[in-house]
Amino acid sequence: MHSKSPLIPVGAVLLLAACMLSPVFAADVGRVRVEVRDNKGAPVPDAVASLHPLDRPATVTPPAEPAVIVQDKEEFRPYVTAVVTGTRIRFPNQDKVQHHVFSLSKAKTFDIPLYRGEPKEPVLFDQPGIVSLGCDIHDWMSAYVLVLSTPHFVKTAEDGIASLADLPAGRYRLEVWHPRLKAPDQREVALRAADTATKVVSVTLGFDRRISRNPESGGGAYK
Amino acid sequence: MIFRPRTFGAKLLLLVVAVVAAAQIATWLIVSRYNARAAEKLIDDELQQAAQTFTRIVNYRNSLLVAGASTAARASEIKRQFVRGRDDPLTFASALDSIRLSSRSDIVAALTLEADLIAATMPAMAAGDILKQLVGRAEADPSPNPSAAGFGILDGQLYSLVLAPVRAPDIIAWLLIGFRIDRDFTAELKAMTGIDLTFFDVQGRPLASTLPPATIGGIAASLHALGDDHASHRLELSGETALVALRRLSVGSGKNAILALQYSLDEKLAPARATEKTLLIVATASLVVAIFLSRAFARRLVQPIVELVGHTRRIAAGDYSIRNTAYRTDELGRLSEAFDQMSRGLSERDRIRDLLDKNVSPEVAAQLLRDGAALGGEERQVTILFVDLRGFTTMSERYAPRELLTLLNRYLDRMSRAIEENGGIVDKYIGDAIMALFGAPVDQPDAPGRAIAAALAMQRALADFNRELVAEGRPPLAIGVGINTARVVAGNIGSARRLNYSVIGDGVNVAARLQSLTRDPAYATNIIVSAQTVRASTPPFAVRDLGSVAVKGRAEPVAIYAIDG
Repeated sequence: MHSKSPLIPVGAVLLLAACMLSPVFAADVGRVRVEVRDNKGAPVPDAVASLHPLDRPATVTPPAEPAVIVQDKEEFRPYVTAVVTGTRIRFPNQDKVQHHVFSLSKAKTFDIPLYRGEPKEPVLFDQPGIVSLGCDIHDWMSAYVLVLSTPHFVKTAEDGIASLADLPAGRYRLEVWHPRLKAPDQREVALRAADTATKVVSVTLGFDRRISRNPESGGGAYK
Repeated sequence: MIFRPRTFGAKLLLLVVAVVAAAQIATWLIVSRYNARAAEKLIDDELQQAAQTFTRIVNYRNSLLVAGASTAARASEIKRQFVRGRDDPLTFASALDSIRLSSRSDIVAALTLEADLIAATMPAMAAGDILKQLVGRAEADPSPNPSAAGFGILDGQLYSLVLAPVRAPDIIAWLLIGFRIDRDFTAELKAMTGIDLTFFDVQGRPLASTLPPATIGGIAASLHALGDDHASHRLELSGETALVALRRLSVGSGKNAILALQYSLDEKLAPARATEKTLLIVATASLVVAIFLSRAFARRLVQPIVELVGHTRRIAAGDYSIRNTAYRTDELGRLSEAFDQMSRGLSERDRIRDLLDKNVSPEVAAQLLRDGAALGGEERQVTILFVDLRGFTTMSERYAPRELLTLLNRYLDRMSRAIEENGGIVDKYIGDAIMALFGAPVDQPDAPGRAIAAALAMQRALADFNRELVAEGRPPLAIGVGINTARVVAGNIGSARRLNYSVIGDGVNVAARLQSLTRDPAYATNIIVSAQTVRASTPPFAVRDLGSVAVKGRAEPVAIYAIDG
């Protein structure tokens, strides 16, 4: 189940506050708390904040267990899934109707023709990038998989806050991505031991283009 | 020169014609101008409505095309073509052509999110920057299903174009769908709106029209002169006046195709013109009727006036017998009535005057009419004459009353004439006697002489009358005359209702007494006059002194004379 995302007006501006707090457990380990809000101060969920180390190569270890994006009540859940490169994802269908999960994205193009229940194999996401998922027979079904080549990432919750912990000191590229951002917001962040810094990033969001499942019931009825 | 009508009829006719004509002309002008203005307003509204209809039709067709094409494009394999289409443009183009056929559009093209053409059903598609404009506008559309519509000149033809997103489920490309604005489309639009329309390309060349070429040429020639989009313009087209409204259709690169909507003012005004023609006929007819009515009315009015004029002339000539016939109920009737009353009044007065003349002497009548009848009096020198018929009592016994009166009147008539011929007036008849006055009411210096002359004339007249009587076998008559001259009171004597001009005084009694003296055979005369009378006259007659006589009621005796002719 992907979380509810507030409707943001045309040209909405997100204020991104990156607050660097003092390390808690070790002198060379820090935490970063990212708070994503729109220009009206409302929290923005389903944004992904990721830190890409610049001083060292980022090493990722795909989890042994595949991630899961279910189809439930003819919707994908969750709406946004962030994974590291090499992660496998299962697409169990919990509905009575069949679904045809597909992606035409460059990072991963695939098709799971109409099926019920569990496909035989999970799908391997081996390229970093944005993968837009759809169902070939239900136009309104939409989900995103953000494939990252860094282990440091967190998706913002309903309160728009993403907290990153166990970060070695050093320089990072902070990326904030959201389905309605044309391109991820990028900036360099230097994280020193026992150091605290705050950065504010302004990002312009595009229009909400998700297809309305119940256009008759008026706007805002996206599930 | 100003025409001044002479007769009432002509004046009335002129007035009626002027009023009726002015009213009809004003009505006609007002109706005509109103019709023209109403027609223009109506056409203007219709042109604006037709322009709106055009926009609605285009929007409606666009939405149908978008729905059809989008449905076709969401098919799994077609959708993949939008990603991989560049690899095999020929196949993709044929797939798009399939969409074109199923959506019944005239052109289908695939555009990248950056507005680059991937493939199209039309090989040569020089659309200028219209594609970039459409994509830009679609991106700016906040709707979940963004779209943009516009017009484009493709391959020399005008197309209505609309952009729809291709989803997977993100928007991965744009689908361009369009229909050609051609002869069929214009014909259909005309059938819906009743308005003629012509589409021109950016150079002002006609692309499609419902009008004949000559009219199109007329509009094309005026395109550059017609500015503002939302006003109708008057144009002379092929000998007709038409209203033309323009709509500029942006086709990109800052250029416009033009939609010209046209409706003939003459055509719209045709029913109004027919009504105006009827109105003109009615106006003419009412003018003719008004002329006839006014002439008839004038004749009815003038005829009694002319009659009255005639009557007036006859009354002026002394004929009071004329009476107006059949009084009208209006003012003229009252005038006729009053006229008749006047006529009767005049006639009555004349009759009275006539009676007056018969009953009093003309001199008294004249004085009465001049001075009015009033009680009053003056002292003046007057000669009074009394003449009496001798033996009248014997006569009255001898004759029947009618015969007696006839005889008396014959006698009185002759005597009166003799008096009047000598300038006297008959004051009154007292039975068979006459009292006459000389020198009253009009002064006569020789009044005594006249009185004597009158007495002699009476004698002669009696002689003649006697000859007649003898001839009739009747006995002759004899008279006695007494004349006195004295100062007496003269004036109108009587009551307010009935007045007689007369004289009173001692002198009157003397005259009567002298008359009665003639009966005395001792005097041997028929005429006895007083000394005052004789003295005041120059006698061409024989005077004989009769001495003095005592008169009853008078202290001094009166010297009397006989006139012997």
